[in-house]
Amino acid sequence: MNQHANLHNSALADHAYRVRRNALVMAETQGQGYIAQALGVADVLTVTYFHAMKHRPDQPDWEGRDRFLLSVGHYGIAHYAVLVAAGYLPEEELPTYALDDSRLPMSGMTSYTPGAEMSGGSIGLGLPMAVGMGMGLKRKKSKSFIYTLMGDGELAEGPTWEAAISASNYRLDNIIAIVDFNQVQADGPSMKVMNTEPVVDKFEAFGFYVQRIDGNNLSALVAAFDRAREYAEPKPRIIICDTKMGCGVDFLEGREKSHFIRLGEEDWKRAYEALDKGRSK
Amino acid sequence: MSGTSTIAKNAAPVIAASSIDEGHRTKPIPFGNALIELARTRPEIVGMSADLAKYTDMHIFAEAYPDRFYQMGMSEQLMATAAGGLAKEGFIPFATTYATFASRRCYDFMSQAVAEQDASVKLIGGLPGLTTGYGPSHQATDDIAIFRAMPNMVVIDPCDAHEIEQMVPAIADYDGPVYSRILRGNVAVVLDEYDYRFELGKAALLRGGRDVLIISTGFMTMRALDSAKELQADGIDVAVLHVPTIKPLDEMTILREAKRTGRLIVTAENHSCVGGLGEAVASCLSMNGVSAEMRRIALPDRFLAAGTLEVLQERYGITRAAVSRNIRRWL
Repeated sequence: MNQHANLHNSALADHAYRVRRNALVMAETQGQGYIAQALGVADVLTVTYFHAMKHRPDQPDWEGRDRFLLSVGHYGIAHYAVLVAAGYLPEEELPTYALDDSRLPMSGMTSYTPGAEMSGGSIGLGLPMAVGMGMGLKRKKSKSFIYTLMGDGELAEGPTWEAAISASNYRLDNIIAIVDFNQVQADGPSMKVMNTEPVVDKFEAFGFYVQRIDGNNLSALVAAFDRAREYAEPKPRIIICDTKMGCGVDFLEGREKSHFIRLGEEDWKRAYEALDKGRSK
Repeated sequence: MSGTSTIAKNAAPVIAASSIDEGHRTKPIPFGNALIELARTRPEIVGMSADLAKYTDMHIFAEAYPDRFYQMGMSEQLMATAAGGLAKEGFIPFATTYATFASRRCYDFMSQAVAEQDASVKLIGGLPGLTTGYGPSHQATDDIAIFRAMPNMVVIDPCDAHEIEQMVPAIADYDGPVYSRILRGNVAVVLDEYDYRFELGKAALLRGGRDVLIISTGFMTMRALDSAKELQADGIDVAVLHVPTIKPLDEMTILREAKRTGRLIVTAENHSCVGGLGEAVASCLSMNGVSAEMRRIALPDRFLAAGTLEVLQERYGITRAAVSRNIRRWL
């Protein structure tokens, strides 16, 4: 890696730290929540928003923007964390997370939050929505990409595969799907709840350009997003990101039953300390 | 089993989607033609279908504008959600399938990807109510109830070709989600005789009458009008109020007509007695303190039989003859 890339990644690492910290502030507001997912996907979202996407935080409806669709609505906490870091929302709103009249509801919705392009939460809507927007952008001769973030559990949803067939049929090379493959879903380990492997083979068979990478490695993420954007063939793209739930806060990493975590007051303090300690390593 | 077969050969068709009654003129493919006409001046109109373009009159749009038609294959959930995506990018998708699939299959997707986001998607359901003898898989007896329960949705059941032609541009002009039934193929032309124009959200009194007020929607308005003519000969004076938009309901017009005392109120719809026009009208009257004697012509709350359409429509009481017979009985 050259020096320029190192500098670039160091800036990204700062952003990733900020995204994680923002998520902790929101989770602490509620004392519980989807904090392990937010910490796990922080690097993916950091690279999406601070490296890959073309966007204007002060102009969320800018026609030339790349679109970002949060399919996993409960990742709202992670999405707001990066939206705040990127400047879509002021930091002061973080402690309103999931409170009444907040612009940061527990499950992401387009009408609530600047920069939220879809109402997810009913799982399996992201890729189908990307298909419609992909068709629309092609009609407009737009060069914009549509990024959609899905969870690994979501791969069991039928509409995801309806959309996969169609994205390939319509050669929607403006779709870059992202799967946060963190191996955990509501009822337990994802591959025990429903084994969707071999995921790479499946998406390749459905006509996608597939990459599978370490989703907590900023350099790997940067390279994968670059390849996805620059890939020449008219195929939809997907990046399977293997991530670690709770990444960056050691005592949350690899914790069992991490889909929805409740912590005491002291533990939240410990979490910030752990995050800072990990950063200084 | 005895050796004698009682099965009639070459009976009436199983599918006659538009249910044209005798004595009416017809017009071919009103939905498809209206959409083609509208698309000439509205580049943002696009068509979609889930492998039922041919059977929902979308095929002629696809032929006229091949680059503006999206064949989605047998993926109704995808079609509804992708329609939401196209609407987000500024297009007005008209997406067709059968009314059963449009409602039962697409519900969550219409709710979250279209209605909650107030997207300008026009979901079009062919084979409404009891217009096929295929049985419950194809008989959309609950589509109106399903979409009435969805916030932001406009719900329409047009009567004839004349109305379908006017409904298409009207819903394109409306910036929000719409579910409309359509009649396909050769469709009866009825309402032009009544100097009628479709207005979104408006009910229209097509004829006055002292004894009975029929409040009807869809092709049951055609049957209500025919029945009114028939009953006239018996000295029964029947008014017909046509309610093509079931949601939002034109409560003002319904209340104005229902408040005229001394008339039996009969609702008539090609839909289950649960959740359709009849219940909407009953709720409107009772919540506004209007007490009136009411009867309902609707399909029963059960899975209907398969068979020939003529027999089924008579069995379940939605033919013109059944309307007349019931009104005579109720008076």
